[in-house]
This record gives sequence, structure tokens and C-alpha cells, in this order.
Amino acid sequence: MDTNVITILNIVAILIMFYCLYLVLTLKSSIPGGMVGKQWNMLTLLVALFSVGYLTTPFFGQLPTEIQRLVVSGIFVFGAVYVLITIRLIFNVIRELTE
Amino acid sequence: MQPDTVLVRTPKGDEILRGYGHEISANQRHALLVVDGKATVADLEGKAFWVSNLNSTLDELRGMGLVQEEGLTTSPEAGPVGEAAPQLQLKAQLAALAKELLGSNADQIIKKIEETDGTPGALEQALLTCKKIIKLTINEGLADTFLQRGRKVIGK
Repeated sequence: MDTNVITILNIVAILIMFYCLYLVLTLKSSIPGGMVGKQWNMLTLLVALFSVGYLTTPFFGQLPTEIQRLVVSGIFVFGAVYVLITIRLIFNVIRELTE
Repeated sequence: MQPDTVLVRTPKGDEILRGYGHEISANQRHALLVVDGKATVADLEGKAFWVSNLNSTLDELRGMGLVQEEGLTTSPEAGPVGEAAPQLQLKAQLAALAKELLGSNADQIIKKIEETDGTPGALEQALLTCKKIIKLTINEGLADTFLQRGRKVIGK
């Protein structure tokens, strides 16, 4: 694929992820604890992890193939964990509000 | 303001308190809520620990015509506190309960209580909503305690 397109996609992904990091950190003060607060800490940690990980993508081509596969696998696993936490959180919030 | 001064809310003050607008700050609302026409400023300072700079805040409220000294002759527009006083007292007690249980995280809950119609039914509904907010965003363990103690306050 065209290198420029890949670079642009990487930059867009980094910008979006840092915006997400800004949002989770900003909202943290409004959610000091409780059911959502506990999960929010985990989501914040994962977003921070993704932000650091995404920063490495412009240099991805310079990494050994084995490391590249490891990083991609890591993103898959943590991405799945992120989705799981989010779905459970939404489920719990809806259950609580409709109780 | 003198420590032995007793303040009452003017009708304008009652109206502001019952309203949903943002004519006054949250701290001013909290101060307005504790004015009951009985306690002196010194009493209020000892009791309403959740209001910052109570004395100067009461001065501000007096300057805005929302409270006045007990016993002053008033115009028809600024008469003594009406029938809303007991309901506002319930709100004040619930706000104090929220502050006691939740400390610095109580602001959102106090605002919710202040915005509620003061009838016991409406207050009970507000308590249920507050319980959910507490459970979701503040402290799961304190949510039920707040609801139980709040219900006792409103006699439910």
C-alpha cells in the first residue's frame, strides 16, 4: 500500500487516541468511584497503553518481524479486553438505571 | 455580619431556591438553603460546615435581597418565609446527610436535591435517583446507606 496513506492513517489514529486519553483523564474527576469509577481506571490504563503503542507505529517498519507480530497480538488482546470492559460497563449501567 | 443575627429568606430568596436557574452560585444556594429564620449566623457557621465562607456568602445574599434580618419590616415583595420552609428544611437535612456521607463528592447530589420539588414524594424519587448516581459514580457501598438514612429524614 502507498506509504503516504499508511502514514496518514497512523497519524490520524495517534491523534484520535490522544484525544481519547484527554477525554478519559478529564472525565476521571467526575467519576471518583462507584461501579463506573472502578472500570474507568482500567479503561484509562488501557487508553494510556494504546496511546504509547500507537506512537510507535511510524517506526513499525524498522522493528524485527517477531516483535511486530508480538505488538499486533498485544493490541488485539488489549483491544478485546477494552471492548469487554466497555460492554460490561454499559450492561451494568443500563441494569442499574432500569432497576 | 454579627454572629447573633438571625436571617430569614425573602420571597425572592425562596423563589430562587425553588427554581432551577443559575442566578446564584452553588455555594450561595447551599448558604440560602440553611437560612431558616431561627438559627443565628453563629449557629449556622457551626452547623453548615459544607458552605464555604458562610458569613461573607450570607452578606452577598443579603446584598442581593435574598435574605434579610429577622424582624425587619418588609415590603409585600419581601415578606417572611412562607409555607415552603419545612420542605426547604428537609432539603437542607438531606444536603447535610450527603455532605456527611460523601464529603467533597457530595456537590452533584446536593444539586440534585436542591433542584427537586420539596414534597416528600418528589424527595423520595430524588433519593432513588441520587442512590443510583452514588452507586455508579461515587461509592457503591454508601448508596444504600444514603437511601435508608434519607428516607428516615423525609419520614418514609
